[in-house]
Amino acid sequence: MIDYLVMGAGLSGLMSAYAAVQSGHRVKVIAKGLGALHWGAGSIDVLGYLPQARDAVVRRPLERLADLPANHPYTILGPAAVQDGLDKFMRLTEELGLPYYGAEAAGENLLLPSPAGALRPAFLAPAAQSAGTASDDAPMLIVGFERLRDFYPELIAENLTRQGIAARAVKLPYELLSDRRDANTVQLAQELDDENRTERLAEFLREAVRPGERIGLPALLGLARHAQVVTRLALAAGAPVFEIPTLPPSVPGIRLFNTLRAGLEARGVRVEAGMEVIEMNAEEGVIRWVASETSARPLRHSAERFVLATGGILGGGFMSDHTGRIWETVFDLPLTTPQSRSQWFRPAFLAPDGHPVFQGGVRVNAAFQPVDAQGAPCFANLHVVGGALAGCDPLAERSLEGLAIATGMNLLKE
Amino acid sequence: MKRINTEILVIGGGATGTGIAWDAALRGFAVALVERRDLTHGTTGRYHGLLHSGGRYVVKDPQSAVECIQENRTLRHTHAHCIEETGGLFVVTPEDEGDFPDLFVQGCAETGVPCNEISVAAALRREPLLNPRISRVFEVPDGSADSFLATHATAQAARQAGARILTYHAVTGLLVTGGDGDKRVVGARVMDAVSGEEIHIHAAMVINATGAWAGRITGMVGIPISVIPGKGTMVAMNHRLVNTVINRCKMPADGDIIVPVHTVAVIGTTDERVADPENLRIEPWEVQLMLDEGEKLVPGISRARVVRAWAGVRPLYQEDYTGDSRDATRKFALLDHQRGHGVAGLITITGGKWTTFRLMAEKTVDLAVDYLGERQPCRTASTQVPGAEQGHYWLGHRLHEIEEEHLQGELICECELVTRTMIENAAKRNPTVTLDDIRRDVRLGMGPCQGGFCTYRAVGILHELARQAEGAGPTEEETKEGTERDAAWEVAYLQSPRHNLSADERPARDEAGLQPNLLLRDFLQERWKGVTPILWGRQLKQERLDELIYLNLMNADHLPQTGEKSPLTDFYLYDATPNEQTEAPA
Ligand SMILES: Cc1cc2nc3c(=O)[nH]c(=O)nc-3n(C[C@H](O)[C@H](O)[C@H](O)COP(=O)(O)OP(=O)(O)OC[C@H]3O[C@@H](n4cnc5c(N)ncnc54)[C@H](O)[C@@H]3O)c2cc1C
Repeated sequence: MIDYLVMGAGLSGLMSAYAAVQSGHRVKVIAKGLGALHWGAGSIDVLGYLPQARDAVVRRPLERLADLPANHPYTILGPAAVQDGLDKFMRLTEELGLPYYGAEAAGENLLLPSPAGALRPAFLAPAAQSAGTASDDAPMLIVGFERLRDFYPELIAENLTRQGIAARAVKLPYELLSDRRDANTVQLAQELDDENRTERLAEFLREAVRPGERIGLPALLGLARHAQVVTRLALAAGAPVFEIPTLPPSVPGIRLFNTLRAGLEARGVRVEAGMEVIEMNAEEGVIRWVASETSARPLRHSAERFVLATGGILGGGFMSDHTGRIWETVFDLPLTTPQSRSQWFRPAFLAPDGHPVFQGGVRVNAAFQPVDAQGAPCFANLHVVGGALAGCDPLAERSLEGLAIATGMNLLKE
Repeated sequence: MKRINTEILVIGGGATGTGIAWDAALRGFAVALVERRDLTHGTTGRYHGLLHSGGRYVVKDPQSAVECIQENRTLRHTHAHCIEETGGLFVVTPEDEGDFPDLFVQGCAETGVPCNEISVAAALRREPLLNPRISRVFEVPDGSADSFLATHATAQAARQAGARILTYHAVTGLLVTGGDGDKRVVGARVMDAVSGEEIHIHAAMVINATGAWAGRITGMVGIPISVIPGKGTMVAMNHRLVNTVINRCKMPADGDIIVPVHTVAVIGTTDERVADPENLRIEPWEVQLMLDEGEKLVPGISRARVVRAWAGVRPLYQEDYTGDSRDATRKFALLDHQRGHGVAGLITITGGKWTTFRLMAEKTVDLAVDYLGERQPCRTASTQVPGAEQGHYWLGHRLHEIEEEHLQGELICECELVTRTMIENAAKRNPTVTLDDIRRDVRLGMGPCQGGFCTYRAVGILHELARQAEGAGPTEEETKEGTERDAAWEVAYLQSPRHNLSADERPARDEAGLQPNLLLRDFLQERWKGVTPILWGRQLKQERLDELIYLNLMNADHLPQTGEKSPLTDFYLYDATPNEQTEAPA
């Protein structure tokens, strides 16, 4: 029998598995899909905007955790544990060969160009992205490719210029990336793993760049050989090279996912996708097993402890219907979400305070066990991490990855 | 202040007004049309999509049925490419008992609506998802019609005949001479919503074709006509669950028709009196009612994914009008305000159906001719609009062309199969103030992901075009025509990937000074407005993914220029929160 069964292979699930296996436990991860990493920017956002002041970007996130509500997962953990989780993440990714960096001024948010040219607050970013920080005043050359549909260099450059950052745009022939017209960003990244392609692209970059500039490219600079591709391009072009994320699928997110998964598997943890949990069995408040759907018949997974890392609405961990009912799909845990559709949304899509339906979730105690209305744990051997937690809107406050890491890495914290 | 002189000024760029501009221009009148937003912004762009056979009206309103079948045949010729020949079925469900089916058959015979009873088994072979418990089925020549394309094509035909089409131009007042007893409307004060400029348009005849807004225009000269807006809600399902129009065979009521429209199936409608034709909130019970009623025709439909809900307004005209009525039927009102209210130079046309817009336009211009004098006869019934030579629309046409031309890599909107050059050409050939205008041209963002990917891409593309235009300077044509946004209306081939393999040579028209961040925000909000009434289940998850893209990845809520507004920003920002009511009012 295994010690921990983690449900969900997003960042919070992978971090929980890592925390458990590091403490010497036997761990398995099962998941339906592969989580939000495939959609995001690949950076680690810890806290970009406070719920009540979405206009002003948070400069030093760890110092502002105290401004969050009492039921916020960061508040429950406390700042030291959050910091500790992030430190562990940095050590882990460094060890696995995909290092993440923070701002030069320690503790500050990086401000990185978004694919629309806004500046996005990220606490940690992969090496290839952190070089795009706005705190560096080297002018930017934003390089796009003709007819690449998921990246618009002129839009980025114009918006950066508006915000006082020197930037200009050029477009290179699409053929430098691929001979296939309908390749997606992941396929394009794989093509750049080919050294000949990297060399040809480097020649064009050398032509285009002016002295003193740094070069921003869409985030598809290699997949398996990413670090080499970036180094080679920078060396040949004679200028720093950085990545700006594109529309999904997210190459930086997939690199992180692949890296963490490989790291876990090297530690003996299996990560199995395509397994939706459809049933559970508990006796006297203790979960015995859960069953996942497979093409044949349901498969039972028993464990000492269970970790729910299914990610709320975004991850598919919560379902809802037209009557306004919203429920947690595996254990039917109590949710704080309003049970009436008329209270779910605000009139503006970009409402500064976010939408109430996305702020609800599973209430937990200090040990991150789900609790009922009286505060009693629902099950003795269940923990909840990541996007399923109540008390926050991780997208609105830009804390999605930070929450996943902090709650996952602290799974075993007493 | 600018001044324009014309013979006929048409107010309203819906099907009716555009049809009038076309008809009058073909007869040889000088015509200008003003629409305060884009063409089809009103009811025409929010209707159900049904080209009526007349079957729906054979029992309740035989005169309407006669008009529908006549116009149904005419539009299949004049607007062939805007129509899909789906055919229609009237089905008797277990709830629809009584003698209605027999009255229906008799009514079809009397009004000339072709009707053919087929076996239930044959109906189920054709539409396998249909309720197997139906007892009788009648086949009629209903169709599915694209009102965006049809109205834009009609506008292009009108322009070719010499009409001026001014979009984003709102009438703010009427120009009047004389006093009580001999009042005459001689034109209108018009506000250019993009530049803010005021224009006076002088005309011998002003035709008010503003549909549910008609009372607001007549109110400007003190004519109290009572037009009560009646709201109708529709919901679009993710899939084309049926390929034939499905009607309940009973007295017309709520939610009794399912229309296959392009890639989706639309259930409609409700009918609720509202105070304001503009701020249409969709209540949860309305969506529920549509799903419940749809369930009776296609069991299981309510478990399918809903992609969007919207509402249109019917103008309910109150018959307290005393003038010499030239109404062709009770269903549309043609008001001669000289005879009715002693105010010369103004005609109002309101009500009716999309299917009969051409006929309404013909009757309206006939009335104008009484005052302006005879010109050439009406020719709209036999004149094809540009693009009609392509023949009828069929669902697979885009996919077929994309595959044949290997355009998979050019797709900007994967759901609706819109290529980059289709967007570029739409922006070059038509006035574009918002992304919503492009949506109407090429169906951008209308599929299951509701703009998640294509909003950003389309903004990026339009921004690139605008940058090129800045470099290119004004064309000869533009210099000649000044800054008017009526220069181009070329829609005939916009919907066809194959006809847009390369982008036009001419630069894009960037008269408003394109603001990419505003385009982005406006369109995201427009989509939000359409999805909030139906967000639950998988569609709610989809929306959260869109948030991930536009908040976390793009940081779209912190782009520069947050204070900027388009003529439509406020419209999109209406209160979308459904209220507490969960039941239909008794
Ligand atoms: C819910 C619903 C479903 C329907 N379904 C069908 C169907 O399936 N088949 C069918 O045949 N018919 C259908 N109809 C009827 C059909 O949609 C309408 O009859 C038709 O679209 C009306 O067109 P219109 O041009 O008269 O009005 P509108 O399309 O409303 O046009 C009026 C225009 O005037 C403009 N305007 C208003 N004020 C001003 C101003 N001050 N200055 C300038 N412009 C102004 C508005 O912006 C608007 O664009 C449906 C109607 C409803 C409500």
